[in-house]
Amino acid sequence: MILETRGLTKSFGGIQVARSIDFALKQGEMHCLIGPNGAGKSSFFRLILGEHLPDAGSILFDGEDITRLKSFARIRRGISVKFQVPGIFKALSVRHNLEIAFQHHLRGHDLDATISRVLDFVELADEAATPAGALSHGQQQWLEIGMAVGVEPKLLLLDEPTAGMSPDETHRTGEMLRALNARGITILAVEHDMAFVQQVAERVTVLHFGSLFAQGTVEEIVNHPGVAEIYLGTADAD
Amino acid sequence: MSAQDADLIDAAPVARSSLLRIWLGRLEGPQTFGRGPAFWAVAALVVVGAAVWPLFTDGYTVGNAAYFMVWTFMAMGLGVVWGYCGALSFGQTAFFGVAGYSYGVLTINIGDAYGFTLVALALSVVIAALVAAVIGYFMFFGRIKGVFVGIVTLSVTLVFETFMAQTAAPQWRIGDARLNGFNGMSGMPPLTVPWFGGDVVLYPDPPLFWVLLGLNVLVWLGLRMALNAPFGNVLVAIRENPERAEMLGYDVRVYQVIAFTLGGALAGLSGALYTAWGQYITPSSMGLTAAALPIVWVAVGGRSDITATLLGTLLVLAGFQTLTIYGSQYALVVMGALLLLVVLAAPQGVVLGAMRLLARLGGRGR
Amino acid sequence: MDVVSTVFSFAYQFGDAFAFLVISAAGLAVIFGMMGVINLAHGEFIMCGAYVTVAASRIGAPLPLAILCGALVAGLVGMAVERLVIRRLYHRPLDTIVATWGMSLIATQGTLIVLGSTMQGIGTPLGSVAIAGGAYSAYRLVLMAAAIALLVGLWLLFYRTRWGVLARATIQAPHMARALGVETGRVYGMTFGLGAALAGLAGGLYAPTMTMVPTMGATFIVESFVTVVVGGADIFLGAAPAAAILAVIRAGLTAWQGQLFGQIGLLLAVIVVIRLMPGGLSGWLAARARR
Repeated sequence: MILETRGLTKSFGGIQVARSIDFALKQGEMHCLIGPNGAGKSSFFRLILGEHLPDAGSILFDGEDITRLKSFARIRRGISVKFQVPGIFKALSVRHNLEIAFQHHLRGHDLDATISRVLDFVELADEAATPAGALSHGQQQWLEIGMAVGVEPKLLLLDEPTAGMSPDETHRTGEMLRALNARGITILAVEHDMAFVQQVAERVTVLHFGSLFAQGTVEEIVNHPGVAEIYLGTADAD
Repeated sequence: MSAQDADLIDAAPVARSSLLRIWLGRLEGPQTFGRGPAFWAVAALVVVGAAVWPLFTDGYTVGNAAYFMVWTFMAMGLGVVWGYCGALSFGQTAFFGVAGYSYGVLTINIGDAYGFTLVALALSVVIAALVAAVIGYFMFFGRIKGVFVGIVTLSVTLVFETFMAQTAAPQWRIGDARLNGFNGMSGMPPLTVPWFGGDVVLYPDPPLFWVLLGLNVLVWLGLRMALNAPFGNVLVAIRENPERAEMLGYDVRVYQVIAFTLGGALAGLSGALYTAWGQYITPSSMGLTAAALPIVWVAVGGRSDITATLLGTLLVLAGFQTLTIYGSQYALVVMGALLLLVVLAAPQGVVLGAMRLLARLGGRGR
Repeated sequence: MDVVSTVFSFAYQFGDAFAFLVISAAGLAVIFGMMGVINLAHGEFIMCGAYVTVAASRIGAPLPLAILCGALVAGLVGMAVERLVIRRLYHRPLDTIVATWGMSLIATQGTLIVLGSTMQGIGTPLGSVAIAGGAYSAYRLVLMAAAIALLVGLWLLFYRTRWGVLARATIQAPHMARALGVETGRVYGMTFGLGAALAGLAGGLYAPTMTMVPTMGATFIVESFVTVVVGGADIFLGAAPAAAILAVIRAGLTAWQGQLFGQIGLLLAVIVVIRLMPGGLSGWLAARARR
């Protein structure tokens, strides 16, 4: 298991965003996290990353308890993250962005080689000197994926990687992620686009009101009667 | 010798020179303006010109110009903290004052024999840096950010000023050095360099000018190298998107404290030099108006580039001094107006804007 | 009799400090608390109000009218400043600090140039009253009442008038307000103007007790900033109780070690509060209410 949560619980004010979630992710898996709005997907992410500390429960990464570690320490242990809103340095060039992302793992010749490799992978080799803020939305998302994977993380977390993308860009993103997964990177993605989920996911977890509602292969989830219900919503779904 | 020994001997100089080359390479980079032979030729010309200038002018003017070069360190320090790391600190004058008073206390008590003034100078900078590190730790490890950094640092500087201002009574002393309240501490010896055949005392005249010029050049080059190093990259990343920098695995707080400490050390260097130059230091150097001035220099010069900060500071100081002939209130009005105009019309800084314009007109990176 | 007189003496010191903090912070609380704008020129709006009050008083206006004039002029200047400067800087909070600092410099030094280093003031009216064995300035007792009246008046304005409710809504959710047809620009202008007018009011109220120098704003600025930051965004849940607590600290420290130590105490309080309760008192209270 590369990532495990045990009894992960968190509430904000009066709202419980995580109700004793037991979650396990196998190494090398390609896993999607879905659920209606307000299900707690983003909060789950933030708990794993350390932006919030849980009220109860624990998080294990690669066998190590990281529940009390600060965000940067968790990242250092081999987690990379790509957020929904492009988390890039807009005023700096594409190349500069990648340099900042990789420089604490790599130096000198290795650093330059990796930057070139990543630029090719995310199809931005021609834009190396462009300020990141001048790229298209899709390109910015790819740049961020490039920043996240250049250091060969063990686990890649993605929060809605295809948000705002055209169908073509979405498809290419799916291809990118499968290529990364083939290299051994475990991928956990929060997604709304079911077509994308079907394109990439091996297994899917459904969250609802902060609890783990269902888990299984894409087929099992798509045919799960309860899942459709919680999406279409009964009157008290919100 | 064996083949292994030969390998060892060959390996060492190669490793050493590539480290040197790496650091020299950092004199240019994405975080600083200016690259290429044309730029460095102009820079060298400027430095040489400045070095020979005292030979063509009178001692008073030289002393005056030396005075300007005392403040540039504080400005460059603020440039690092504000321009590169994104934290608007009003606390530079606090470290200026701490170092100034430290220099006074140390040299009044121990004297100037055996070049102690130089030791005192270094110690004062270290003390200012330590104070900055403590305050920086308190702020950045407490996740204080944005406008609150400004409020806290302004409060700190005012606490120091207010505290020093009420030390008029005789019992306020450290050793032989009376703190002396509003009137400030005076009578400390100027910088004295031990030399063969007699100490060289650095009063405001050509030797002090040359020392300050040399120090300025050294600090300028050193900052260029530090800011273009991976360290500088992280500072800029923190300025642009601190959450993202954290999520890339950097302990943002540590970098902020280091940058803040560096800024404090440079402000302290200005403070100690100022005290050695004028042989006095007062609490008003940590007051509200004094705290505003570095902001003016850095804002007008251009905070995101260290060269622009340096040049802008010298320019504004020269302008300020010209205006004070008519009365300090006119000079300060102009300073206030400059601040306002720069923020509204040229937030990147006037000098930086001009430098970039010249570079574009010149066709390539100047 | 001695106990009563000591108690009353302390109560007077407390009330005096409380009034000073409330009155001087009210304008800044509106501008920083509601709009999130740091106005380092706050002291200069106070100075403006004070100078206008004194000038009006010297040409014969009765004091209350003169004070209102001072507040009005300061408010108008505030609206102009908001229109010309602040409006362009809402998305750049650090630059607002720098810009208002620049304006502060221009105002103090400009006044110094035009009106000289001091202007003849007006004396404190109403003389003194003898209470419990001590003589106290009646005017300063009036100021305490004024502080309370100010808080009540502001509460009525923001919670019981249409304009007040609109202003609060606009500041909390500008896009929603715009969607409802509110002219957000006007609301910002008037709110900033109100803050400036309150500063002018503070200047006018305290003008009879102070010497008229262009840098008189500096006397107020530290106290008002400390009160607003310690209090947090809400004037009533934050600035008012903060003023009370800080008044105790200030009165206590001043009695023990003198004015300057009182000042240091306030500055240290602001540093500690920012570290421990970044949202100030009202932020902390709101967080507890939510739980």
